[in-house]
Amino acid sequence: MTDDMSSKMNRSIKRPLTFARVRGISSVMFFLLLLTMIISLVLGTAEVSFKQIINIFSGTIPMDDPARLVILKIRLPRIILAGLVGFSLSMGGVVFQAILRNPLADPFILGVSSGSAFGAVLGIFLGFSFNLGVPVLSFGGGLLTICLVMYLGSKKMGVESSTILLTGVIINAFFTSIIMFFISTTADDRLHTMLFWLYGDLSQSRYGQLAIIAPVVFIASIFLYSFARDMNLITAGEETALQLGVDVERAKKVCLLIVSLVMGLVVSFSGLIGFVGLIVPHLGRMSFGSDHRLLIPVASLGGAIFLIIADTLARTVVSPSELPVGVITAFMGAPFFIYLLKTKGSQWSRS
Amino acid sequence: MIAFVMVLGWATHSRGTTFKDALGREVTLNGEPSRIVSLAPSITEILYFLGLGERVVGVTQFSYYPPEAALKPKVGSYIELNVEKIISLFPDLVIGTVDGNKPGVVDLLNQAGIQVFIVNPRNVKQAIETVGIIGQVCGVSKKAGLLTSRLNRRVTRILEEIRTKERPLVFLQINLRPIMTVNKNTIHHDLIRLAGGRNMTQDEPITYPRISMEAVIRERPEVIIISSMERGGRFEKARQEWLKWRSIPAVKNNRVHLIDSDLIDRPSPRIIDGLEAMARIIHPGLIMD
Repeated sequence: MTDDMSSKMNRSIKRPLTFARVRGISSVMFFLLLLTMIISLVLGTAEVSFKQIINIFSGTIPMDDPARLVILKIRLPRIILAGLVGFSLSMGGVVFQAILRNPLADPFILGVSSGSAFGAVLGIFLGFSFNLGVPVLSFGGGLLTICLVMYLGSKKMGVESSTILLTGVIINAFFTSIIMFFISTTADDRLHTMLFWLYGDLSQSRYGQLAIIAPVVFIASIFLYSFARDMNLITAGEETALQLGVDVERAKKVCLLIVSLVMGLVVSFSGLIGFVGLIVPHLGRMSFGSDHRLLIPVASLGGAIFLIIADTLARTVVSPSELPVGVITAFMGAPFFIYLLKTKGSQWSRS
Repeated sequence: MIAFVMVLGWATHSRGTTFKDALGREVTLNGEPSRIVSLAPSITEILYFLGLGERVVGVTQFSYYPPEAALKPKVGSYIELNVEKIISLFPDLVIGTVDGNKPGVVDLLNQAGIQVFIVNPRNVKQAIETVGIIGQVCGVSKKAGLLTSRLNRRVTRILEEIRTKERPLVFLQINLRPIMTVNKNTIHHDLIRLAGGRNMTQDEPITYPRISMEAVIRERPEVIIISSMERGGRFEKARQEWLKWRSIPAVKNNRVHLIDSDLIDRPSPRIIDGLEAMARIIHPGLIMD
């Protein structure tokens, strides 16, 4: 170990990470998440009071009451989707930043986003429905990109970080150009639909979709959490990790694959929402340090909270009109992130 | 005798007539134009409406009404015009609109010696007037006059019928996802107004605002009209989507309708068909022949 590295580790080992601490902080985050969800339920174009919401959930309101329909059929599924997507994006960001040892990585850096986007845009162009055709094509596009990137990126030296990053960049560029082609040649209402999807659109959330996304995200998060210790070691240095008994290649491949699959699924329902996967992991690091056993739950829950807030703003700020949620995440994320960088520095420990 | 011939010769040279277009530009034509390029589908429709179909030598991409127009050479799309193609067709008149057609294109064509006449119909009344203006420029004023007075009569008949009726609150949906509608600066709004309705989103600051489902539920429109480019398919699904929200009066009273977007998007003669269709939707039981 170098002096630099050991001093950095000493700095962060002021309070040893116990399971109790992880559980405690995660519970606080979870409580904040519930609070955010409740507040978001109250806010929106149609005025629904907090009292009405209590009545709705206690079942004392008739089935076709408009407030009940607004809360249970529009807002609640939308908030849940925002939570799941934010959770996945942020978790993906944490994992990618660890595995690729790159603070600028976000879950889209390997091209999954553009492949999914290509699939979705193609689906919209062909007039497929948003309940089946578009998500299927979008997920297919994401899957295609994952396979391409894995195949091309691991040819020579295993999952070597810079090769795989470059492959992702090229694939991003390629699919983006195809998407631009579609956009420039579509002149009718499909164009608006495409653009709206490309900036992130959580407005068409259905319980059927949530029933598919939620279990996948839940299982994936358990899987990825089991690699938390390995991620700590990989971030400290791949050779060191190897020496300490981590099967680096396997860990990288499995984690990248799981995250990419989850991303492909999530994006196919929500469109492209940037910034969350890049910023929230760093916010988590700045607040709670880089130990992934704490960082993963904190950042994931933080991502859920972040996106729910962003989506609530997106649908209330210019009410009755709506902004694309990707615009809000950029507006929210960038200035706050710059402020934190100036006051705290990136806390990115490198060896 | 020689003087007479000379005077006749001089008169023939200055036979060019000058017209002023919607931008205040002076456009001079020597005789009736016989090779006309249309830069918008609505203009193509007007030319065919006036019986000038044979004189049309170039159209833009979506000029598929009437069907014969689709067979004419394409000069690009409404947004991206191919100037070289236009010039290569040797037109003696190009007719364009203010929206869409880039100003640079007009200059380029003028430099190539081609006369460009711009029209700018912003509501139904001006759409009918444009038929007359184009008719005049192309030398068929008499026929244009007959056709426009017929169109005007159809509008007046509707206005008389709806004059004493109450105006229901109308929500016009022009896009499926995201939900988009129109404010008062659109020809669609004019149609709703003339057809005896009240546009739910007339005071929105953006011309084609995206609107949330919650907003429609809150405003409780009495009629929902979905503008579609196709029969059935996705837009029928859109109508089915609305049927879930029974708290909206339009849904409860089964007043969610589809309308052909071609009839209400374009400031062409068919917009009167669109007006009649809309009036029948907003005030069922209207007597029109």
